[in-house]
Formats: sequence, C-alpha cells, structure tokens
Amino acid sequence: MANTVRNNTLRTLASRNLAGRPVRTGALLAVVTILALAFFGGTMFTMNLNTGMTSMERRLGADLMVVPQNTAQKAEALLTDGNPSTFYFTKDIVAKVKQADGIAQASEQTYIASLAAECCAEKLQIIGYDPATDFVIEPWVASQFDGTLEDGQMIAGANVNVSTDGTVELYGRRWSIVAQLAATGTNLDNSVFINLNTVPEMVAASAAVSQRIMPEEYAHKAISTVLIKVAEGYDAQTVAERIKDLDPSFTQLGYVYPGGITATTKTALNALVTYLAVFVAAIWIMGVIVLLAVFASSVNERKREFASLRILGATRGMLASILLRESASIGLIGGVLGVSIASLAIFPFSTLISRQLQLPYLQASLPAVFGIMILTVLCAVVIAIVGSVIVLVRVGRPEAYLVLREGE
Amino acid sequence: MARDCQQKLRVSTMNALRKREEVMKNKLFASIPNIVFGALLVIAPQTFAHACGAHDGMMPACHYSQQAATGIGAVILVLGLVALIVDPKVRIGLNIAAIANTVLLFAIPTVLIGICKGAMMHCRAVMLPTLIVLGVLVVVFAVLSIVFDTRSSKRA
Repeated sequence: MANTVRNNTLRTLASRNLAGRPVRTGALLAVVTILALAFFGGTMFTMNLNTGMTSMERRLGADLMVVPQNTAQKAEALLTDGNPSTFYFTKDIVAKVKQADGIAQASEQTYIASLAAECCAEKLQIIGYDPATDFVIEPWVASQFDGTLEDGQMIAGANVNVSTDGTVELYGRRWSIVAQLAATGTNLDNSVFINLNTVPEMVAASAAVSQRIMPEEYAHKAISTVLIKVAEGYDAQTVAERIKDLDPSFTQLGYVYPGGITATTKTALNALVTYLAVFVAAIWIMGVIVLLAVFASSVNERKREFASLRILGATRGMLASILLRESASIGLIGGVLGVSIASLAIFPFSTLISRQLQLPYLQASLPAVFGIMILTVLCAVVIAIVGSVIVLVRVGRPEAYLVLREGE
Repeated sequence: MARDCQQKLRVSTMNALRKREEVMKNKLFASIPNIVFGALLVIAPQTFAHACGAHDGMMPACHYSQQAATGIGAVILVLGLVALIVDPKVRIGLNIAAIANTVLLFAIPTVLIGICKGAMMHCRAVMLPTLIVLGVLVVVFAVLSIVFDTRSSKRA
C-alpha cells in the first residue's frame, strides 16, 4: 500500500513540478519547440528540394535541344519552372539537323501554350511528341501508361484538372485523357502530352473557337525542338558545333544543354541548402546554450527542493527519475509542438513555396516525412534530457542537511 | 489564537487571489485566440489570401467561398468578444460554437462551395491553406479552452 502511494506520488511529482513552475516550464518548452521547429522545417525543406532535383534530373533525358532562333530562354524555362509558351520552326530543318555527326538518338517535339483550359484553371503547356522516336517522355510515362498514345488522346501532368469522365476541355473540345502522371515538381506537371499527329487537330480546334495557335500552313510541319542524345565519345557542345557546320543559317538556331540547366539549378539549390543548414545549426547552438542556461539557473532553487525530498526519504535514484521524467516530458511536448507548427506551414503551403522558389520542389514520400517527424521528437527528448543532466549532477552531490542550511 | 486566524485569513486571501487569477487566465484564453484568428479570417480572404479574379465576367466558386469564409471569421470574432463577459459554462458553449463554425469553414472550400481546380491557382495555393491553418489554430485553442473551463467549473 505504502509502495503504491510512494510510486504514484513519484509518478505525478514530475508533472506537478512542471505545472507548479509555469514560467520555467514555458521557457524550456519554448526553447525545445523552436529547436524542433527549426530541425524539422529545415530538414523537410532540404528533403523536398532534393526530391524535386532528383525528379528533374530523371525527366531531362536529352543532352542537347535545338530550338528556333531567340527561343533558347523559353525552352530552358519549360524545363524548369517557367510559363507555357509556343515556338516552332519547320520539319525540313529537323531533317537536316538529324544528319549531323555524333547523334545517337533524335526526336522532335512541338510546344503549344494553351489558354486557360476551363474556367478557373491555369494555362497548360501542350507537348506534342513522336512516340516512334521518343526517348525522353516514354521511359518516364511507361511506369504509369504502357499502351500506345492514339491520335486525339492525351496524357496529363499531375496538376492538370481532369474531369470525372476522364477528359480535359481545350479549345471547346473534350480530349480523352488516358493517364495522369505523378508529380515531378517541374513545369511538366502543368503539361499535357499528345502525339505529333494530334497537333493539326489541336490547331484546327483552336481555329474553330477563334483562338488560332499557329497559321494553318504550319499545322502539319511545326516543330519546336529537336531533342538529341549524343553518341558515345561526343559531348553536347561538339555535336552543336557539327550541326552549325551543316548550314550557315543553323548558327542562328538556339542550343540548350539540359545538363547545364541541371548543373545551374543544382548550384542554386546547393547554395540554398547550405544557407539553410547553417541557419538551423546556428539556431541549434543558440537553443542548446539557452536550454543549458535555463537548467543551470534552476539548479540553485532546486537544490533545496531536492534536499527536502532526500530528508523525506527519497533516494538519489528517485530524484534522478523525477528529473528525467520532467525533462523527457518537456522534450516530448516541445518536440510535438515544434513538428506540428512546422507542419502547419510546410504541408498546406507547399504549392506556394514551390511557386516562390522557382526551383524543383517536390513533397518527399510519406514514410520519409514520418521518419523525420519521429527523429525530430527523439532529438528534442534527448537534448532536453542532456540539459537536465547538469542539474542532476549538481543536486546529487552535496549533503541534504548542508544544502537546507545554506544561506541561514 | 490570533495568529491562527491571521494565518487562515492569509490562506483564504491567497486562494481567492489564485482563483481570480485562474478565472482571468481562462477568460483570456477562451476569448483572445478567437478574436485574433476571427479577425485574421475576416482580413486574410479579402487581402493576401484572396480568391481568383472573374473569368469571362463569371465569378469562380472560390469567390463565394472567400465571402463565406469572411462571414464565418466575423462570427468567430464575435464569439471571442462575447467570451470576455460571460461565465465559464457559457464560454464552453461559445468555444463549441467556434469549433462548429470552423468545421463549416473547412467544408465550404472543400465540399459545400469549392474552389478552382488548378493546383497553381491563387485560391488553392494561398487562400485554402491560409483558411486551413487559421481553422486548425481556432480548433486547437478552443479545445484547450474547453478543457480549462470544464476543469475550473468542476472545481467551483
């Protein structure tokens, strides 16, 4: 009976200590919450950027893109996070470009910027590709659609509004969607993919609603880019030079190197991640110092409290248990609070964050998110316990009677 | 004898002060969050977390969700103001009403009226998350306030 009472008292003493000192508890909680928030927020942010970068690298399968004069920037924007655009040259140029040395694979694509698909939807990038020669889109699409993309059919990116009947309305016509792709964190999420034979149909549909996207005579021969995979032993710049050698007018064409874009984006991303890591580290260093200071400042007032408990018969083990329960509770509550606050900012606003960053930003997988959540709470608990050890060492040392007489 | 009486008086005065402090704390806890978040729910949809513009002269669904969210924010704000002048038991009721209003706030853009479908549209990227975050905060503080007020009502 006496043991049960004693255990119950010890069990509740920690929580009553916390409730009895609201200012001290609040200060410790605030510090642990900020530490957890910074750790979880920073890690999630970094992880989402890395997931976006990996996704972007996977989607850019070509080594070189040949595009019309003065459109290289538009083409680069298509690969990263720019606005949809329409640009084209003619098929005869494509045929000549393909004759250059050092080309292992070449495939053409046509880019058309739609008007807003329906009321309350944003503009879409329509990408026409040739399933027979394509080596960029098909490998990516294959995991989610293994059929053949027929004329008049579409594959939709992750952000495209597909109606419940599996169609999208564009230029007054409903187009059948055969598959919707997973999010990539790039502009491709706002794109629909059609085969090149569907481009004239699209042009005709746009003309029918008085929103012609290109002149009638170009409908069957408009190509926006030639995507090139270079042969072994060649680099993209060399192949670009070979193409320019084919015809003097080809020097005017735009040459885009997706590998270079990836490298540039990676540099920007690495800089951002480094700043973030330094910021989180600084917050952690300051937070740990504040935490230790708060614990250390509580040592003197607690010396008498623990001395009284010792006189009442509490062993050193019991005191340690009370202290550890207190600090673990603070770590747990602070950790959960920090994770919750950071989650309220990161998850609902992920689209806005992605839009503002102009970098590939893709939500990490659920198991990874839960893993980081658990790790953050664990770190918060550990840091709070480590902080309390300072109190434990100092209150455990002197004799109870002497401590009680201190200051008399 | 006199010392005993003095001691009892001191204890009862301390208890009364402590109780008054707790009542005041609970009152502020039950009202301030609702006033602040209610005001933000009124201001946000009309300013930075606004709905999308008209398309071909037609107002999109998010416009009506925005107007309804503003109205709900005003109701939560009033509930917070009333909580400043009423008893703990009434405050419990007011906070239950705030939670019910927040459920309505969540239902309006998602089920009852809706917003634009495009993932990158302003209403979906900014308005909806703002409403959700403010709504979650209203619910969290209302639940805590109900717990505190229930506890102090039982003690009284």
